[in-house]
Amino acid sequence: MAEQRKQSQLEDVWPLSPLQQGLFFHALYGDDVYTAQVVFDLEGPLDTAALRRAAATLLRRHANLRAGFRQRKEGTPVQIVHRQVKPPWRDIDLSALPEAEREARATEIADRERATPFDPARPPLLRFVLVRMADDRHRMVFTNHHILLDGWSTPVLQTELLALYLAGGDDTGMPRATPYKNYLTWLSQQDRAAAEDAWRRALDGVDEPTLVAPDAAGPGAAAPGRVRRLLSADLTAALQDRARAHGVTLNTVLQLAWGVLLGRLTGRTDVVFGAAVSGRPPELPGVERMIGLFINTIPVRVRVRPADTVAAALTRLQAEQADLMAHHHVGLADIQRLSGVGTLFDTMTVLENYPFDPDAAGTDLGGLTVRPHDGYDASHYPLALAAVPGRRLALRLDHRADLYPAAAAERLADRLTAVLETLAHRPDAPLAAIDVLDGAERDRLLTAWQGADTGLSPDTVTGRFARLAAERPDAVAIRAAGASITFAELDARANRLARHLVALGVTRETRVATLLDRSAEVVVATLAILKAGGAYAPIHHSYPDDRVQWAIDEVAAPVLLVDAATASRAAALTTTARIVDVTDVTDVSGDATDPGVPAHPDQTAYVLFTSGSTGVPKGVMIRHRDVVALADDPRMRDGAHDRVLMHSPHAFDASTYEIWVPLLAGGTVVVAPPGRVDADVLERTVRDERVTGLFLTTTLFNLVAEERPHAFAPLTEVLTGGEAGSAAAMRKVLAACPGTEVGHVYGPTECTTFATLLGMRGPLAAPGNGTPLGRPCAGMRVYLLDAGLQPVPPGVVGEAYIAGLGTGRGYLDRPALTAERFVADPFGKPGERMYRTGDLMRWTESGVLEYVDRADLQVKIRGFRVELGEIEAALADHPAVANAAVLAREDTPGVKHLVAYVVPAAPADPAALRRHLADRLPEYMVPSAFVPLETLPTGPTGKLDRAALPAPAFDEAALGRDPATPGEETLCGLFAQVLGLDRVGADVSFFDLGGDSITALKLCTLARRSGIDLTPRQVFTGQTVEALLRADAPADPGFDVLLPIRATGTRPPLFLVHPAGGLAWPYFRFQRHLGPDQPLYGLQARAFTQDELPGSVEEMAEDYLARIRAVQPHGPYHLAGWSLGGLIAYEMATRLQQDGERVALLTLIDSYHGLDLDSEKRDVLPELLQGIGVDATMLDPDGHPDLEQIMGVLAARGDALATLDENALVNVYRNYANGVRQAEEYRPGPFRGDLLFFTALRDRAPGAPTARANWGPLVDGEIEDHPLDVEHHHLMEPEPVAAMGAVLAARLDGLHPPRRRPDPPTRKEHR
Amino acid sequence: MTNPFEDPEATYTVLVNDEGQYSLWPSFAEVPAGWSVAKAEDTRRACVDFINENWTDMRPKSLIEAMGE
Repeated sequence: MAEQRKQSQLEDVWPLSPLQQGLFFHALYGDDVYTAQVVFDLEGPLDTAALRRAAATLLRRHANLRAGFRQRKEGTPVQIVHRQVKPPWRDIDLSALPEAEREARATEIADRERATPFDPARPPLLRFVLVRMADDRHRMVFTNHHILLDGWSTPVLQTELLALYLAGGDDTGMPRATPYKNYLTWLSQQDRAAAEDAWRRALDGVDEPTLVAPDAAGPGAAAPGRVRRLLSADLTAALQDRARAHGVTLNTVLQLAWGVLLGRLTGRTDVVFGAAVSGRPPELPGVERMIGLFINTIPVRVRVRPADTVAAALTRLQAEQADLMAHHHVGLADIQRLSGVGTLFDTMTVLENYPFDPDAAGTDLGGLTVRPHDGYDASHYPLALAAVPGRRLALRLDHRADLYPAAAAERLADRLTAVLETLAHRPDAPLAAIDVLDGAERDRLLTAWQGADTGLSPDTVTGRFARLAAERPDAVAIRAAGASITFAELDARANRLARHLVALGVTRETRVATLLDRSAEVVVATLAILKAGGAYAPIHHSYPDDRVQWAIDEVAAPVLLVDAATASRAAALTTTARIVDVTDVTDVSGDATDPGVPAHPDQTAYVLFTSGSTGVPKGVMIRHRDVVALADDPRMRDGAHDRVLMHSPHAFDASTYEIWVPLLAGGTVVVAPPGRVDADVLERTVRDERVTGLFLTTTLFNLVAEERPHAFAPLTEVLTGGEAGSAAAMRKVLAACPGTEVGHVYGPTECTTFATLLGMRGPLAAPGNGTPLGRPCAGMRVYLLDAGLQPVPPGVVGEAYIAGLGTGRGYLDRPALTAERFVADPFGKPGERMYRTGDLMRWTESGVLEYVDRADLQVKIRGFRVELGEIEAALADHPAVANAAVLAREDTPGVKHLVAYVVPAAPADPAALRRHLADRLPEYMVPSAFVPLETLPTGPTGKLDRAALPAPAFDEAALGRDPATPGEETLCGLFAQVLGLDRVGADVSFFDLGGDSITALKLCTLARRSGIDLTPRQVFTGQTVEALLRADAPADPGFDVLLPIRATGTRPPLFLVHPAGGLAWPYFRFQRHLGPDQPLYGLQARAFTQDELPGSVEEMAEDYLARIRAVQPHGPYHLAGWSLGGLIAYEMATRLQQDGERVALLTLIDSYHGLDLDSEKRDVLPELLQGIGVDATMLDPDGHPDLEQIMGVLAARGDALATLDENALVNVYRNYANGVRQAEEYRPGPFRGDLLFFTALRDRAPGAPTARANWGPLVDGEIEDHPLDVEHHHLMEPEPVAAMGAVLAARLDGLHPPRRRPDPPTRKEHR
Repeated sequence: MTNPFEDPEATYTVLVNDEGQYSLWPSFAEVPAGWSVAKAEDTRRACVDFINENWTDMRPKSLIEAMGE
């Protein structure tokens, strides 16, 4: 009876539009924030009964408002239109309440309406509440599920409702509403392929998403914060004029503005954001008066090239968008998939040009006036811009308050307004000229946060020294080898050597090369060269002879100064330079007065070689004035640097600090004893010589911090820098040395050693993500600029340019290189230059510089921009890590992976480090290998030598045994070559070492050239050199029921049961996500080895149990399966329990029992092909390509399926069809224990509401459900596998805590 | 981020200041105070060649004068 009534209620059944499908999903999954609301006030006398009748007529006219949403038994979601639906209506009277309370209550009512969810299955998905505020004032609160109608529809609905109200609910005079069904029909007629092509072209070259909040976790459930700006009528008119003048729409102008702003926020010149489009096809008659869901979100790509003019950018954007107009119906998820990037954006814009005139609605409503009160349209984007046209353009910026605080959103709205001003008024301006900063902000960035003006005039090193020597002749200038040298003595010795140099032809601007060991003579020689008018050019003694000779030639030095220790080496050089031993000259008594060579502040003081990107070092010229400016910096004159330890190589720019900062302030250079400076030497010298300040490279600082943090205690300040600093090391030193300041310094050689300094004292506050550098030194400025040379706002990464004091003269004899790097400074005094560092930094909101990375060390892994420094910092936070470096290695072209180098502070298990990083970083930023090192290699200047970091051997256990036969040796060599490793053992899995399907193909190609016949499938199954070359290796191991994915490891294995297709190959991907100690086996269908297909899930379970018992006779068992495989695994688990075995882990990957899969009529082939990533309709219009076509597509693929032959494919097909039937028939029994479940969220399968609903009644433990944003058929793609692998790894680690040191690989024996 | 000085496709100018120091300069950017255009808009390559040919004495003018040449 009830059935019959239901039948008669049913008017029609429609499919869902793509957007409706998306919303339906979210609704099913509970994260349903898609409730929309329109609130308007009706002023004047109101006939509530008539309004209610109008609402009823409205629902009668629009069938789609009467739809409920369900999934068909076989899977497809449908909308079921009910014949009659009464509008849910409530009348609430608040007129008796006091005025103030009334408004609050009304707001509360609207809020509650919004918070009350709709059940999609029960129409209508809308509600009316009419609140009586006073006799002549009513508030209409209309709430609906977004799946019914969009924002464009609400004014239509409002207009129609009021028109019906005026007609007393009678619609006889009104035109018939175009049914939503017509739109659905139109959708089905569109040329899908052409549309996809257009989108693919439009997004060609977009290889990463444009995200303002890349770290945002999941969609925000809270209502967004909201910021509004009402533009002036003048600006609005100017924008309209601008649009008109270039033949573009106002929307294009707004989109360009947003694109420019987005470019500034993300530091990019090619950005993508979403735009809401009406989605109403103009060719559909009456479309503008339809009420329904048409709206779509499409990606808008804007190229904000700094050089393009506003006019050109507008015209191009408009043309690009026009080309896509006919393709607005393609769902966003599909477009994003076509782009190959995935999520493309996290911001959106919408121009709310509703087909509705708000001013016209107020007229002639029987004395009734409509006032829009408020509306809520849910958005889950971090930033969404809505613009409402009018005499004054209204902008509304919705922001997720958890990501964008209100103040930041307010500022953003101001920046947007500034951009619009420029677009409106300066069509010929290049986009680079658009200024998004306000005056105060600009002032902060360019002045307030910069180094203060010192007011000192330029000076020379020699002039300053002469004055000091005269003032304080008896003060100690140098302490070396336990002896003191006074200023007068130093002056005299330098004068003697200077006179000798002058006699040898040294004059102003002459470079003199030096090759000196650490001693007091370094100071003497350096000063002497300057006194002779020359510039010193130190050569590092670790340079090979060729490089020494090259350097002497490069600086055109007539003289090479050596000492007793280096003289013999110099004698072996073939050079035209005169070799002078400084110890010979300074000892002789001769004229000890100054040679009197004039000096100029712009004269070169020294030339230091730095490595060039081209591989040829370049000589940086630093002037006298630069050196004096460093010594005069107030931070260098605060007493901390009176006695400075000289230990750095002369050729390293730290020597500028070590020599000249103490000396030019009348202080003392303390020369460290000869030989290597380690923590011991450092501690002793600092204590014995009462050193007050010193500089250590990051690497050395971290080392001493680790070994001997107290060594710094007697110091007033220890400076460190050169690499991304370790907050952990700094914290350690600060804790051990409460009286010592730690100064974090940054500066390229080109800018005279230090450009920024951050002094830290006492316990260090928790460090942020970046490495704080502090602020620029006195008289120096650090500009962070974007690609248009505009200062970036705080928080945005820009490239650092350094200007002001200390910015050197350029590169010796390299005019073009100098003009490229020392460029005109648009923000300084007229004619000044700034140095382009290539370092990426950002300003914090409080005006502290944070180092982000080298512009050229930025790497891309799988299309994502990866900042290595970020990974290093995350690694350094692990207590077991003393020091770390991360490299993107490409030891074999095309095989790029991240490798972490770790100096352990405590025994560190790579698996633990991997988990540590996986907890903090996106999966793609977790290195594939962790290499333990005793120390990080450093170059001659003490900086990390990235080139010297070894290729990873992955880990000790993975090294494996040496090859035993010539064949093994060849193949081991090929493995190593393809994987970019030094060596590979004969018994180590190709896939454990980072191999994948592409590298497997490469391996086979190379192997064939070496006469070894190998197919990718064999590599997939054999994996180790040993196994691949085993004489008795089965010809076709890939189809055996038991497929060993990794047979080694000490833990109980994980058994993964095949899905309906029958192959377990997709599970190979799990291997790299589960530790090397975890054995893995796949179970595959018998269809590949016998003709008869198994009859049931139960039969397969029994069969497979026999196989796994042969590997693991007793529990605890770990079982998992995807799709049908999950059902089989479940059945195996219940059978094991019945036999008294323990099942420690049961994992179902999107598997459900008792579903009607429509196995009789189901079109299996296209579905099966889709499951392996082949679009059947692309091969054949009917979706039924022949075998040959399919084989062709498969062969072109770079994965295991490329190796399937026709027979195997037919077997996959047989299995699949059989499996679908078996899944329908399977009736599971109870399972005692927990269930780990993965749900594929997209295009969900029929009648599969949730794991809990499906399995809850059978399972007595917890069901842990991990949803994945992917289709069921795509679950074995790399990304979902990585996500599932992480969960599985954590589970398995919990069951079997990882050992500190993995055992050498042995054949697995169950413990 | 493409650095505006490293774009081989873009056009550049060459600027010179009172000290006779040269600067490569993206042609879209305004010429800063104290600099004048030594070579009008051209390819990057042409600008780099121009600098190499014309900036033969890299000492600043005030130093050249001080050294009495």
